[in-house]
Amino acid sequence: MIASSRKYVIGLVVLLAAGALIGWIYGETFYGFLIAALLALIWQVRQLLMFNRALHTGNFDTFRFGEGIWQQIYSRFSYERDRGSRYKKLNRQVIKEIRRSTNAMPDGAVILDEENEIVFCNRAAKTHAGIKRKKDRGQRVDNILRDPALTRLLQANDATRTADIVSPVSDERWLNCRVVPYGINQKLLLLRDVTERIVLNRMRRDFVANASHELRSPLTVVSGYLDAMAEDDTLSQSWGQPVRQMQEQAQRMTRIVAELLELSRLEGSGSASIDEIIDVGALLASACEALREQGDGPQLDLAIESTAHLRGNIAEIESVVVNLVSNAVRHTPADGRVSVSWQSGPDGAQLVVTDTGEGIAAEYLPRLTERFFRVDSGRAREDGGVGLGLAIVKHVLGRHEARLEISSELGVGSEFRCVFPPERIVVDPPIPMAGGS
Amino acid sequence: MEASDLTGHISRRFNKDIEDLRSEVLTMGGVVEAQLARAIAAIVSGDSELGLKVAEDDYKVNDLEVSIDEECSRILATRAPAAGDLRLIVAIIKTITDLERIGDEAEKIGFLASKLAGMDRPSDSYRELKTLGTHVSHMLRDAMNAFARLDVDEAFEVVREDEDVDQEYNSIQRQCITFMMEDPRSIKRVMNVTWTARSLERIGDHAKNIAEYVIYMVRGRDVRHTGISDASELNS
Repeated sequence: MIASSRKYVIGLVVLLAAGALIGWIYGETFYGFLIAALLALIWQVRQLLMFNRALHTGNFDTFRFGEGIWQQIYSRFSYERDRGSRYKKLNRQVIKEIRRSTNAMPDGAVILDEENEIVFCNRAAKTHAGIKRKKDRGQRVDNILRDPALTRLLQANDATRTADIVSPVSDERWLNCRVVPYGINQKLLLLRDVTERIVLNRMRRDFVANASHELRSPLTVVSGYLDAMAEDDTLSQSWGQPVRQMQEQAQRMTRIVAELLELSRLEGSGSASIDEIIDVGALLASACEALREQGDGPQLDLAIESTAHLRGNIAEIESVVVNLVSNAVRHTPADGRVSVSWQSGPDGAQLVVTDTGEGIAAEYLPRLTERFFRVDSGRAREDGGVGLGLAIVKHVLGRHEARLEISSELGVGSEFRCVFPPERIVVDPPIPMAGGS
Repeated sequence: MEASDLTGHISRRFNKDIEDLRSEVLTMGGVVEAQLARAIAAIVSGDSELGLKVAEDDYKVNDLEVSIDEECSRILATRAPAAGDLRLIVAIIKTITDLERIGDEAEKIGFLASKLAGMDRPSDSYRELKTLGTHVSHMLRDAMNAFARLDVDEAFEVVREDEDVDQEYNSIQRQCITFMMEDPRSIKRVMNVTWTARSLERIGDHAKNIAEYVIYMVRGRDVRHTGISDASELNS
């Protein structure tokens, strides 16, 4: 028993005993005891009522506690109350800080539940995407941001994927969306303003396209005159070699310009719009035939293991084949071998080009599809390559939802593998053509 | 009617059905909005490939219309909805028809864009078509937002906007007539511009219809063919 309670009990017993003693002196022990008990009760009830009133009005100034248990109860009570309000204040401050920091974030953040309904969003979500904090709570986010790209992203629920959409607030602004798993069955939708990046990219693309376009006509004039000079017999013999070299370089420039234009065209539009059924086997056979006719290269093996056809743009797929095979031939010594194969399975089809050439060091592999990137910048210009082939391959494959996998070992050889998704494969072509296998 | 009213049913399955249906309609709206945006981009940038792609993708809109229509019939048959729910279903059945028409108009614009890309381009790259196109795509966006948020004020705004679009369309038409009179050789090209403007104007009308269905759905009042001033009185 705590001290205050013990004191209280002792006090009560003493009071009752004193009442009984006084009663005994006057010969009425029982009444003395009763009066003392009544007095104790009245005092307690009064204190209780006063405490109750003070609790309700919150005004404890008029409350006199006296000594003993009531003072103990009050001091304990006010101590707990102060501590509670202190914690409350602290919590409120923490919440305020968190809210302030989410509002200060430059990226929009929207918390979604499992049905993609909006639970919470910060201020940037409003300025970026026009999501209204109060009104749109409980609304599915794809009801407001209706871009099909975002709908697909929400369905995929893959934290590594992102989608660029036009902001619903302004047509000029672009948002990069990312969906991150969050909490229990919740998702965090992050919206980043990437207008600058998109505009810069577009400017770069337009610049390359315009510059290449502008270079084309002067080049035509130069090569025209060079052709005429090469056939001009009256020109002195000493000019023969320089004119031939100028012709070669002019041709090279024409090819660079043509490929740059092709690249900017590929970049410009999303996915391949022309859907043709392509007989890849026949395409590979004719490409290999054309290369064999040039003679003195490495041995070229062709293995068509599938009759599957591909849905896509035939001119673009042809440029992929030609680029990959001629690259392999160029980088393989005459005693080596290049093998080309076409395989298909339930999870798509693969076009594989393998060579026994010099191989590529691992650190260069990620940069291989960059424009004008050269592993050996001193040597490569001589072999007739332009440096855009693999960039074109990558873009064409991207337009066909396919991907390029490159593996290589120095001194052993390289393997270029184009993996096409099953949606692009036609196993039973409508018009079976001869020469598939 | 508030958005939360739609989810106040005792049957949780019904709640989910209604919410899914609404989301489907808005997804369809999103696809149509994207189609329209690409069609306008094809006109402005003279990209014939993009124009053909838009025309080719119209099947997505049609597929969505059919599937939503089926879902509406299923809910009508199995749930026999009343009051607000019934208005919602009726409004949805009408909305998707208009959305599908907008899809068709976008398809048409895509075709016209691929035709126009092969012809001479005026120095302003069809700025007046771009302005009109931006205007109607904003109308469509606002109408779909009004549908999502059951926002009557925004719906009335869309109904009002339609008058501006009509005026813009008239001025484009006058301009086209002037061009044709000045230079009869341009008639073939300018005719295509007129058709494009006509399609855009029709899209504005369809967006207005959708906004009117939103008003009907929320207020239960039919504001079609009443004129904008009478309609606004209803709002007050």
